[in-house]
Amino acid sequence: MGIRIYNKPELEDPVLIASWPGIGNIGIIAVDTLRGMVRAEEFGEIEPWDFFYPKKVSIINGELKDLEFPSNKFYWAKAGEKDLIFFIGEEQPAEGGKAYAEGTKAYQMANLVLDVALDCGCRRVYTSGAAVAPIHHTARPKVWAVPSSQELLDEIDRYENTVLMSDIAGRGGQGNITGLNGLLLGVAKRRGLDATCIMGEIPIYLQAFPLPYPKASRSVLEVLTQILGIEIEMQGIDAIVERSEREIKRLYDRFPPEIREELDKLRYITHIKETEPEPITEEDKKRILEDIDKFFKRGSKED
Amino acid sequence: MSQKHPFKVYEKPELPSSSLVVGWNEDAGKLGSKVIDYLYRNLGCIEFAEIEPADFFPLTGVSVKDDVAQFPESRFYYCPQNNLVILKSDPPKAEWHRFLCSILDVAEQYCHAKELYTIGGMVSISAHTTPRELLAIANSPQMKRVLSQYDLAGDFNYETPPGQRPTPSSFLIWLAKERNMAGASLWVPVPCYLISTEDPQAWRKAIEFLDIRFSLGIDFEDLDENVAKQNEKIAGVRVSLPEVDNFIRKLESNLVLTPEENEKLIKEMDEFLRERD
Repeated sequence: MGIRIYNKPELEDPVLIASWPGIGNIGIIAVDTLRGMVRAEEFGEIEPWDFFYPKKVSIINGELKDLEFPSNKFYWAKAGEKDLIFFIGEEQPAEGGKAYAEGTKAYQMANLVLDVALDCGCRRVYTSGAAVAPIHHTARPKVWAVPSSQELLDEIDRYENTVLMSDIAGRGGQGNITGLNGLLLGVAKRRGLDATCIMGEIPIYLQAFPLPYPKASRSVLEVLTQILGIEIEMQGIDAIVERSEREIKRLYDRFPPEIREELDKLRYITHIKETEPEPITEEDKKRILEDIDKFFKRGSKED
Repeated sequence: MSQKHPFKVYEKPELPSSSLVVGWNEDAGKLGSKVIDYLYRNLGCIEFAEIEPADFFPLTGVSVKDDVAQFPESRFYYCPQNNLVILKSDPPKAEWHRFLCSILDVAEQYCHAKELYTIGGMVSISAHTTPRELLAIANSPQMKRVLSQYDLAGDFNYETPPGQRPTPSSFLIWLAKERNMAGASLWVPVPCYLISTEDPQAWRKAIEFLDIRFSLGIDFEDLDENVAKQNEKIAGVRVSLPEVDNFIRKLESNLVLTPEENEKLIKEMDEFLRERD
């Protein structure tokens, strides 16, 4: 089980930004977009054999030419004043048919990622994923942020469009972040690094569809660039968001009218604690969310 | 995770050089396991090693199949007269890389294996009356040259389609290639309606190749009897169930069945052949 570093970069106080696929691929789209925009260069990888089953075989004229494994690569870039390390995992090392990594393999992978980051002098880590929320797809997704320590809370408060778990009604600051996007946060905390997981909101009714949700990735990207103090062009991701919006509208239009009617009520309610009264009563809000939850037979969760 | 060898070797076979033949349980038409069972029975093979299941299978209880409790097995046998090593194994559910490396470790370290063959069945939308062919995928140009001396289909291109994964056999011969061990995966197309039962014609095809390749001197009489019995059973189904006969006729005429027809053919044939067994 090993790490291969081809060309170790000389970095000053770099920040690690890591992501794996998850619900709506929100985190990985955001992180990969940022990686592309800052033209990050590949400098290493985690050997895949012990974590993954191969994903593709190529046979040419009856001869096995190649066996491809999911990639787990490190990149680096200088963006403005900041040195950045990216880690992008093509798959989570899930076992026994589970969708998200857990257990020994996941813990080993999280530690390997941090081994490289620490070796490069990194002291700060960001991971990114999805927050399943009772929102409508026409709303601008907020970004939930979960830091590894109390000291980071004030910093998060400064970033526009972010919310903490305690800002979300009915949560009391509690929650779970499943899979490696969450686990890395915990392992980073354990190893004494400052870490924050930032999660873009995805409507509760879209979580089960195998569709990316780049609208939330854009929100994550906005927060990430604020955090890093860099500016990037958003045209590329905006075009992807536009295509995705059309696809989601087509899907939404195919829902039965009575479901659409119920889901449309999500336009008028908010799950974030408000100081001003909402245009809808708390009782109505509770009932709407229960009806939607019953329909999709799922609770709100994060990845 | 234990880092010691996950295998147990009971006896060290004295083989100056050998070839390893691997058959997986859970194979189409039970091809891999039947071929290995046949070699074991007919070549006087001796069990000498096994891979311990604890690291590779979720040992949360036992599964029951056809009324019988199952337990994962990965057993090695050697055939002293033929310098042949055979492995019959369940495909692991975890730690694939370590498991497959253990197979190669046993073969190389204890049997001086120089080459590896995997035997497997592949789903074919064809009738059982279509003669079986043997497809070979080599792991090197040298192995491809060796295989070109035999009656094998070996000039095709393939890429794993999206949403699917490579087979354990491809993974194993790729690992063998990494160790400079010659390897090939051998595949016999099995008619779709025999996948969950048995296809003795497919076993015969694979054993024919092994017989020639390793000069095993196999008497095919019992295999031919199995083939004849199976054909008789299928003929019985065709008489009893005209709709099934019609589906098979369509396949024999290279016509395509609808998904519903295909499903019905598989279901009816499966039920009928199991009843007769």
